[in-house]
Amino acid sequence: MIRNKSMKRATLASAIVATSAMVLSIVPAQANSTGVTATSIKLGVSTPLTGSAGLVYGKVPGAMRAYFDYINANGGVNGRKISLVIRDDKYLPTLAATQTTNLILKDKVFALVGALGTATHSKAYTAAALAKNNVPDLFINTGFSGFANKTKYPTTFMVLPTYNMEAKVMAKVIKDNFPGQATFMIAQDDEFGADGVAGFTTAGHKFTATPTLYPQGTMTAARAEGALTALGAVPGKPVLVLFGTTDVTATLLKAAEKLELTKKFTFLAGSVGADANTLLALGVKPTTIDGVISASFLPDAKDLTDPYVKQFIDINTRYNQGVTFDNYVLAGMNSAMLTVQALRAAGKNLTRAGLMSAIEAKGSTFASAGLVPLGYSATSRVGYNGYWVSQLNAQGEGKPYGGKLVIYTTDSGAGAVEISTFVRPTMPKNGIPTNS
Amino acid sequence: MTQFITAVLTSLSSGAIYALMAIAIVLVWRSTRVINFAQAGQAVLTTYIGYTVIQRTGSFWLALVVAVISGAVIGAVIDRFFMRPIFKRVKSGPIVMIAPVVATLGLLGIIQAIIGFVWGITNQSIEAPVSTGGYKIMGTVIAFSSYNLLVLVFVAVAMLLLTLLFQRTNVGLALRASAYSPEIAKLSGIKVDSVRTLGWALAGAFGGLAGMLYIPGYFLYPNAMDLLLVLGFIAAVIGGLESLFGAFAGGMVLGFAIIFSTTYISPKLFFPTAFIVLIIVLLVKPAGLFAPKKSRGA
Amino acid sequence: MKKAGKVHKPTTTRKRLLLFVLFGWLLLILGDRVGELELYQGSFVATYALAITSVVLLTGYSGQLSLGQSALMAVGAYAGALSIFNAGWHPVIGLIMSALIAGVFGLILGLVAARLSGPYLAGTTLALAISLPTLANQFPILGAEEGIAFDVGPAPARFGEDFSQYKWFFWISALASLIMVFFIVNLLSSRYGRTFKAVRDNPVAAQLSGINVEQLKVSAFAISSGVAGLSGGLLVMLISGVSPSAFPLSLSFSLLGAAVVTGLYNLKGVILGGLVLVAIPEIADSLVSRIGGSDNLTTVLPGFLVSALLILAVVFTPNGPGHLLKKHH
Repeated sequence: MIRNKSMKRATLASAIVATSAMVLSIVPAQANSTGVTATSIKLGVSTPLTGSAGLVYGKVPGAMRAYFDYINANGGVNGRKISLVIRDDKYLPTLAATQTTNLILKDKVFALVGALGTATHSKAYTAAALAKNNVPDLFINTGFSGFANKTKYPTTFMVLPTYNMEAKVMAKVIKDNFPGQATFMIAQDDEFGADGVAGFTTAGHKFTATPTLYPQGTMTAARAEGALTALGAVPGKPVLVLFGTTDVTATLLKAAEKLELTKKFTFLAGSVGADANTLLALGVKPTTIDGVISASFLPDAKDLTDPYVKQFIDINTRYNQGVTFDNYVLAGMNSAMLTVQALRAAGKNLTRAGLMSAIEAKGSTFASAGLVPLGYSATSRVGYNGYWVSQLNAQGEGKPYGGKLVIYTTDSGAGAVEISTFVRPTMPKNGIPTNS
Repeated sequence: MTQFITAVLTSLSSGAIYALMAIAIVLVWRSTRVINFAQAGQAVLTTYIGYTVIQRTGSFWLALVVAVISGAVIGAVIDRFFMRPIFKRVKSGPIVMIAPVVATLGLLGIIQAIIGFVWGITNQSIEAPVSTGGYKIMGTVIAFSSYNLLVLVFVAVAMLLLTLLFQRTNVGLALRASAYSPEIAKLSGIKVDSVRTLGWALAGAFGGLAGMLYIPGYFLYPNAMDLLLVLGFIAAVIGGLESLFGAFAGGMVLGFAIIFSTTYISPKLFFPTAFIVLIIVLLVKPAGLFAPKKSRGA
Repeated sequence: MKKAGKVHKPTTTRKRLLLFVLFGWLLLILGDRVGELELYQGSFVATYALAITSVVLLTGYSGQLSLGQSALMAVGAYAGALSIFNAGWHPVIGLIMSALIAGVFGLILGLVAARLSGPYLAGTTLALAISLPTLANQFPILGAEEGIAFDVGPAPARFGEDFSQYKWFFWISALASLIMVFFIVNLLSSRYGRTFKAVRDNPVAAQLSGINVEQLKVSAFAISSGVAGLSGGLLVMLISGVSPSAFPLSLSFSLLGAAVVTGLYNLKGVILGGLVLVAIPEIADSLVSRIGGSDNLTTVLPGFLVSALLILAVVFTPNGPGHLLKKHH
């Protein structure tokens, strides 16, 4: 009897607590277009701020916010100020799923911008029912080609060139510059790496051995040493393609240092894992980085002759204090600039559908720091569609490989890699877009 | 052939690192019957302290000494002011084992938060004190450097010293007695509480050593030793939590198993190998490889 | 003070059933009154409460410290996903499979684990927790990092247009959890459950009076795993798909922590435990956005608060808050 009563009491107590907690957090109903008022636009992003990916990408959302603050100080967009809700997903797909759902349900944002990660975002997209809720998913921070699929991701707009494209460009670089050398690839074992492997296959490149795929988090120093020792026995000067995140590239390069194999290979590092400053910060020697070939679509963050870079550095100093300007800050501000132009193009009567059609119609003409063209159209959700090949030096700069800047464009399919004569639009005055 | 030699060498290096952590865990277990998850945090904290010393003085060896000493101090403080109140409150039932585990997990989070707040969460790195370049044997460079050798030597020497301490000294005897049977130990005049604090200090010192030896080959950030703790714990269980040599053996077994399976079978088997090795060992010897002849209740 | 056992039992069960039905009905009404976000959060509360139930059963009742509940949840989740996605079965069957397959897995695991004591069991379950999810990378059918979709489909048409997906999730998770917890509560109040108490209070006497302790432990493992498996299936229903990262080691720790905070020895606090797991990160987040402060502070504060709560709970109520209220055990 006693047990029954106290159980009843406790269950009831729990029920009351549960009820009150839920009732207390009910929010009043929202206005017409979610996340938009007469004076504000609320955007959201789920991205790693902590954890190993956060170490590399943690600067990006702050950089976006800094640019938005700059625009807000200069009139905003059609009289509205932009605010950015940033949620940390630690690069975990499940956390990204819940955080993105929170952005929609709790923060009630108008649109998402800059979502990061392949596995993370693909899970978040489904879990948060972005398609059903017609939430614009702008300028995602991942190059997995699958995101350009309009049927699967109807509200998504890519910005990064796909990993597939990057691999095809790399294949061309190998073909043009290192014929006859043995070639190997070490890639992350998920869609990011798989996309890269597929690109090489489409480009008709066959590696000397099947690409080594390692699950995320398992490329330890010991494994790296083992892999490189085996490859070190290959005659000549093999080309080694590294398609992983920066910490893994660093581990592999440091293993090469230990085994005195740094000059044995020609390293081709995918853009995801080739940020020179990060590599140096992780303990890789400058002499090792010197000569590593990579690819990019933006100017190098250290190129002070570039007007976009100069402008962004200025914004960074004034609105993002304490943060050193680097390629990640540059990328963040660039995406923010595209976002502002998209919001402007959508007009004063701002709706989610309107925003997406605006990008389809006018996106390819937006001004940005990108040295390659933007591919938005009524049928294409692909952003930048090409790369220029860079070579890192001991100072941590990426300069055009071969001395001259050559822009390659291609697609994520069987299309050839072509040299482009694209000239990017002039930067709007003071970096403040005036488009409509 | 080169692949085999490389695998053996890198297994030795990996195994030594796992052994370091396993020894720290066994130290706490042998003297206090607690699995200390906060060890990962303590070791990282002392390594950050060492890092700061290097920033100021440029000397790795000085930093090592400071890290070890601060490890001992932190360990003692944690036992005296944190674990002791918990032990006083929790007397019986399964909670006896669980409360300290959960408490140390909470402590781990707190330590990592403090580190993040004071030093920031971005990666740092510590330069190794000796060369990390591989030795040259008959023209080829092998995957074994002076630094790897240094770690192995330290592990061996530390193990030896600790075993001597436990087996040959009165302090060691007191440590073992207090853990095995606190009531009886108290009756024979041993100050059980102080002895336990000593055990934690010892483990903390060792964790400090482990951190300073491990990090230079790796990166320094608040969660840097989490994975190592898990693998170290598994290694300690493989070896049987009762002997330091068992911890060393467990570390080596685990290191070899993981390297060989990921090299020769599949790189995806990194974690499953740990589990499989553990299960196989425990099926044959439920109290680990070097379990004492009489099995004890937990 | 006991009346004749046989007469007492059915009445107790019936009373309990009434209580649960009443509670379920309350939740139903509540579900109509609150917004999407609350339904979403409520679903998580129900799911975590169920997971904590499995911890209480395994660790509190049968005294086996397992750090691997996340692995068992993963088994259930993948079993469910494969049933629905690959085999094309009905979602209800999928959830049943989650519980069943995880239960069988737990049975096998329990047979091994029964021989292990304290830290050895902890170590084994720890190794299981970190390695099992990575198996998804090894076998392509498990979908690797991308995972497998877990789609229970939209609510039945007869509930109307306004019946949102989140409400449907809430209904499913709340109902499934209620049914399972009811089952477990009954089990623990029966003679079977009383043997746990006997073993816990005095293992030697229990063994002498003929209780097969090892069998008890194994059965506890199996049942607890079944419960965990179901909660795993419900969890991935909420995120529309299973993937390795849904079940990190930290989930096991969180569940254990929540169980300790809300009472390890009985099921009274499991709902509160679920609430704690959902509410604490939210509270930490809103606290952080209110206080502001340096970037460093905002990133470390949530973790700090969660850990602090854990420690406070262990220090002040190691036997659960229920113990503070009760006069006798």
